[in-house]
Amino acid sequence: MTNNLKSGKLSIFPLFIWISFGITILAGAAGVILPSLDFFPAAGQTRLSFDPWITLFKSPGLVQSILVTLFTGLAATFCSLCLTLLFVSLFYRSPVWQWFEKLLAPILSIPHAAFAIGFSFLIAPSGWIMRLLSPHVTAFEVPPDWVLVNDPFGITLTLAMIMKEFPFLIMVTLSAASRLRIEPTLHVGQSMGYQKEQVWFKVLVPRLYPHLRLSVYAIIAYSLSVVDMALILGPSSPPTFAVYILKWFNDPSISYKLVAAAGSTLLFAMVAGTIFMVHMIEKLAGYAARRWIVNGTRRSPLSRIKFPLSGAIITLIACTGLSTLILVVWSFTLKWRFPEALPTAWSAKFWYRGLADMQDPLVMTLLTGACATLISMVMVIGCLEHDALQKQIRRMDSVFYTFIYIPLLIPQISFMAGVQLLLVIFNLDGMWISLVWSHILYILPYLFITLKATYLDFDPRVYNQAALLGKSRYRAFFGVKLPMLLRPILFSAAIGFSVSVAQYIPTMLVGSGRFFTITTEVVSLAAGSDRRAVAVYALIQQCLPMVIYGLAILLPKAIYYNKKGMH
Amino acid sequence: MALELKQVSIRKGSDPVIDRVSLRIENGEVATVMGPSGCGKSTLLSAITGSLDPVFTLSGDILLAGNSILETDMSQRNVGILFQDDLLFPHMDIAGNLAFALPPSITGYDREKRVAKALETAGLKGFGKRDPATLSGGQKARVSLLRSLMADPEALLLDEPFSKLDQALKAQIRSFVFQQVKAMNIPALLVTHDPLDCPENSQVLALELKGDPDA
Repeated sequence: MTNNLKSGKLSIFPLFIWISFGITILAGAAGVILPSLDFFPAAGQTRLSFDPWITLFKSPGLVQSILVTLFTGLAATFCSLCLTLLFVSLFYRSPVWQWFEKLLAPILSIPHAAFAIGFSFLIAPSGWIMRLLSPHVTAFEVPPDWVLVNDPFGITLTLAMIMKEFPFLIMVTLSAASRLRIEPTLHVGQSMGYQKEQVWFKVLVPRLYPHLRLSVYAIIAYSLSVVDMALILGPSSPPTFAVYILKWFNDPSISYKLVAAAGSTLLFAMVAGTIFMVHMIEKLAGYAARRWIVNGTRRSPLSRIKFPLSGAIITLIACTGLSTLILVVWSFTLKWRFPEALPTAWSAKFWYRGLADMQDPLVMTLLTGACATLISMVMVIGCLEHDALQKQIRRMDSVFYTFIYIPLLIPQISFMAGVQLLLVIFNLDGMWISLVWSHILYILPYLFITLKATYLDFDPRVYNQAALLGKSRYRAFFGVKLPMLLRPILFSAAIGFSVSVAQYIPTMLVGSGRFFTITTEVVSLAAGSDRRAVAVYALIQQCLPMVIYGLAILLPKAIYYNKKGMH
Repeated sequence: MALELKQVSIRKGSDPVIDRVSLRIENGEVATVMGPSGCGKSTLLSAITGSLDPVFTLSGDILLAGNSILETDMSQRNVGILFQDDLLFPHMDIAGNLAFALPPSITGYDREKRVAKALETAGLKGFGKRDPATLSGGQKARVSLLRSLMADPEALLLDEPFSKLDQALKAQIRSFVFQQVKAMNIPALLVTHDPLDCPENSQVLALELKGDPDA
């Protein structure tokens, strides 16, 4: 009975999320659909028409832009998923796997924009790889006239997205692994004569995929609508569709804002259509595989690709590492003539200059990230505690957990453009609090993903024991449960903070361009500025999440340094 | 086709876990390894299936049908194993679970026939389309045994397979297992801590606790 009462009070948390997320999503939808039909009272447009759509379809290079967007997005998603499934089935628990697992947190914490900049410094015709190979291997004395970055097919963009999305899918796989009873299943399968890889593809992958499904859809939505990486690495004329939309949106003329709204609606339809198509392919593949799964074939051809696959994965990780290293090198460069492998003159000048200039954006980044993470964490813990107390009676339905994932499934630019246009209509745009809220929309899902399993697995007997020992429910919660869960909570908060640091589109759009964070500075500097100045900003962007992760790991160790059971 | 352990010793670092164990199990025979928890029973079984953790070192030899299987990969050993947890694949129906174990040389309609026949011998006729989660403990135990046997193992290991069943069910499943092993005419090794599990007049190997292998 007490459980009932208590969880009843806590139901305010999920209720709040249902209502606030619901309203924001509806606002986002209204904010793109109405303006796309020429309805924009702020500029005196109240007569409905299809003019924005007509202008949209007449835009030069539209078809090519859409095709390159679909190609890069689908190729990045497909390759990341294949790499993940192959890697897990060939290398699970092997030394390569354990090595990768250790590198996962730092790799995931690299913001997309900083990574894109480092990657472009690495592979550009005048990039580090070319410098290391020149002039001995390539015989180039000046950078070749090749289009390696901003290539018209978006190959570079696709590669960079794979390098960011593949580790993300591995992380999701790891968190699902505990529920799959992987070791005993492999044991049983192998005792029936199955090769390990075959047990994976016949038994474990069909059970793993449902855990990956939402993340795969999120990657589709992300890679079809990514802006910051596409600005830095993607094709330029025409750009990917999301970048095209941003250009319209930033056009001073109101009529182009309406075209941006129509484009956002179209992008949303593209993402929805693609997710639907992938869902159908899943069903077909599942149906087609049914007979294959039980046909008894034990041997798998996959073991043959073990060697090339490990090579590919090591290359991916090496490129990620080198992309960071090249930023460090450039940030301390004074002079660097082309074919030289290292700078000819070093200097810390750009660090002094950069650090002096970036104080305001830095404070804005920290403040926004801290507030958004704190508010999100309170809401998430409230919801999870509600769920944990209710567990014995009725688990919170999975509809809720899918619902909070929705912001990750809508193309960000469409969603944020909609929210912003609606705010403009009501003259509420450019407030800091709406900026914080827009970050919360993206932090919250990640907090749930990272914290849910640990939180709900917390042994209720410990909690009840504390309550029975005469402590109040509140003291049992704040004095026993929260301190015991300190480590996962801080880790999850660090992820939330790094999500906030990386946000570009929400900051640009919902902030009405009035708020400058490290990320907006990085992206605007990346277009054509001095490599040395860009490197300093990109490194700072990359350091922020790392510092927070470090704190999240060290703090519990410091607090519980003499408690063996807490490690 | 006998399963033979010759002077098998297993150590973890310098701590002995199993000390010079020898045993020969003939076709159709069920031998028993008994001992309290922590005496190394499960370690011995994983040595036979080939899943021994690398922290252990093994000396001596394990022979199946006269050939040493120590160097053989786990998936090529033809040693079936049955655990106390049923470990049925929860996303496949019962027929799928059984067909999974059938060798690929049996194809097409024959696979379905074999599965149906196996279900009938276990008194589970018509259960093919059922979801494993809807079966009772005893039914699950029977299906898991059938599944290990359908892969045509040359030896069967039973890792405390009855310990989660209640008394009445235990007797029933126990005799079902022994009967199936006889019918298949393969050697079987049963690991248990309960003396009542042993088949009558069978070889019993009693292991003792040597230190704490988990420490």
